Amino acid sequence: MTSIRRDILIGLVCLALAVALPFAMPGRYVITQSTLFFIWAIVVVQWNLVLGIGGIFSLAQMALFATGAYATAMLGFYWKVPMLAAIPMAGVITVAVGMLIGLACLRLRGPYVALLTLAIAQVMYVLIVNDTDCFTTTGGCMPLFGGVRGIGQFGDIGLRALFPSKWYVAHYYVGLALLAVAVTISIIVIRGPLGLAFRALRDNPGYAMSRGISRFKYQLWIFAVSAFFTGIAGGFYAIHFRVVGPTVFSFSTLLFLIAMIVIGGLGSIWGPLLGAAVLMLADEGMRELSDYRNIGLGLLLAVFVIAWPNGLNGWLQRSRASRN
Amino acid sequence: MDVLIQIVASGLTLGAMYAVATIGLSLVYGSLNMLNMAHGAILTLGGYICYAAIVHAGLHPALALLAAAFVCALVGLMIYFSAALPLLRAENFETNIFIATIGIGSVIENLMLKGFGPYPIPQPLAVDGQVVIGNVHIPLQNVFILGVAIVLMVGVAILLQRTSAGRAIRATSMNREAAQLMGVRVGRIYAQVLALSGALAAVSGIMISSIATLTPVMGGDPMLKAFIVCVVAGLGNVYGAVVAAIALGLLEAATQYVLGVRWSFATLLLLVILVLIWRPYGLFGKQQVVRL
Repeated sequence: MTSIRRDILIGLVCLALAVALPFAMPGRYVITQSTLFFIWAIVVVQWNLVLGIGGIFSLAQMALFATGAYATAMLGFYWKVPMLAAIPMAGVITVAVGMLIGLACLRLRGPYVALLTLAIAQVMYVLIVNDTDCFTTTGGCMPLFGGVRGIGQFGDIGLRALFPSKWYVAHYYVGLALLAVAVTISIIVIRGPLGLAFRALRDNPGYAMSRGISRFKYQLWIFAVSAFFTGIAGGFYAIHFRVVGPTVFSFSTLLFLIAMIVIGGLGSIWGPLLGAAVLMLADEGMRELSDYRNIGLGLLLAVFVIAWPNGLNGWLQRSRASRN
Repeated sequence: MDVLIQIVASGLTLGAMYAVATIGLSLVYGSLNMLNMAHGAILTLGGYICYAAIVHAGLHPALALLAAAFVCALVGLMIYFSAALPLLRAENFETNIFIATIGIGSVIENLMLKGFGPYPIPQPLAVDGQVVIGNVHIPLQNVFILGVAIVLMVGVAILLQRTSAGRAIRATSMNREAAQLMGVRVGRIYAQVLALSGALAAVSGIMISSIATLTPVMGGDPMLKAFIVCVVAGLGNVYGAVVAAIALGLLEAATQYVLGVRWSFATLLLLVILVLIWRPYGLFGKQQVVRL
């Protein structure tokens, strides 16, 4: 079986299971948590393109996610743009921001990129949180970006009105569809010529460039591709929770997502998804120990990087190889 | 004129604190190529240990400072043995150690959150009184911080320039293989550098918490600024880092006065981005020539 066929097979099986889930476990809690899982999985799958395939150590993905969420909310709040149009527009805005960040990181390498992107995210957070000037006074004083309290009341995609009692199931399927598209795009990128170019630049920039692969072009490409769906996921997050606040910048979310990628397997197709699923389940299982959540996450992250740098995916591949 | 004195005074204090926080980071990056993301947590830990030693154990402040430095040096050693040593044997050291120290930092930070609670605590190691220059009142605390920072910086400079251990550290950061061939035990150097960086972080954590307050998350901001300083100076360049730290401290104080606190961090960052676009290897860094 070729690897691309295997990917399609795994993808279809996962999709079928996910489609069947609301029928098997109709509880509202399970469904909404799964929807959250889809949102994080989209971000993680796209981040993996930059981090794992491109080898660019960008920590800006949560900032891009926030850009998408804030763009959706602000388009809806200030210009009354219908949400179905606002989300794709937010995706495009996120692409623009992503390319700007990519441009700023273009001449940097390794750790410099990580620091710069982390600092950019931090500045966005500080500017939003410290803003206390009233930009609008309709319905109380609100700063331009909503300040600490965030932005709410920016509209909906209409599924809540359409299915008043089952809207969360509808959101579940929207999230699933978005994730399916995001994963498909990531498979196409990874298996296709674009992914080959990214990997060549990652593994040996000198040789890749001397073969005529432009770092400028492909780095911007990779930031643009991964930003689009991250922005869309941010928009969907805004719709789903009906409010966007500065908590999307929180370091513990960043830690959670990066742990998903590392534990699943950096640079593989299914690893990040697997890691996202495992960590979401582990998070649920340890709900009563929530005080220790970040300690556990930190330990897991450190232990996996040190002992199993290829993550669960690498472990699965090794065990399959030893079976054959 | 008074404004100028005020800006210079608070800028120098800020710069001195950043410099002490940065030296450790820069030393570690210079010799191991390791970005220690747990640095902020170690810095906070230093502040808390000092607090606990004075308030709960009743130690003399000077002893408390030493105790904090000692504990944080141990944490640095622990990071070396548990994370850096095993990762150095594998590939992709720079990326992996970065992620691993993010994890370790989160563990330390949340342990402090469990141990000391989320509420701000004042740092008991404080000096009362003030000096008056012109019409400006400068707290003695700031003068004290500046003094401690200068002593530490001179100490580190003497260590690096005048002792054989310092020569070995410099040799390792210039060229690891060559140093190894000359009989330098790089493993031991790495351990020493991480311990030293932990001790320096403790002192800077105590200084920072003495003019702000102690909270479990207080390390994040100075760490990010220390990273910015490192990046502007060129990662691993210790002396450049000191100059850049003081320059950024003065700049921050000036922007805080002119544009308000809100914009100071954003202005700093904009400057860093511009510097990095102009000189991707930092102001004092040397461009690395990569041979294929």
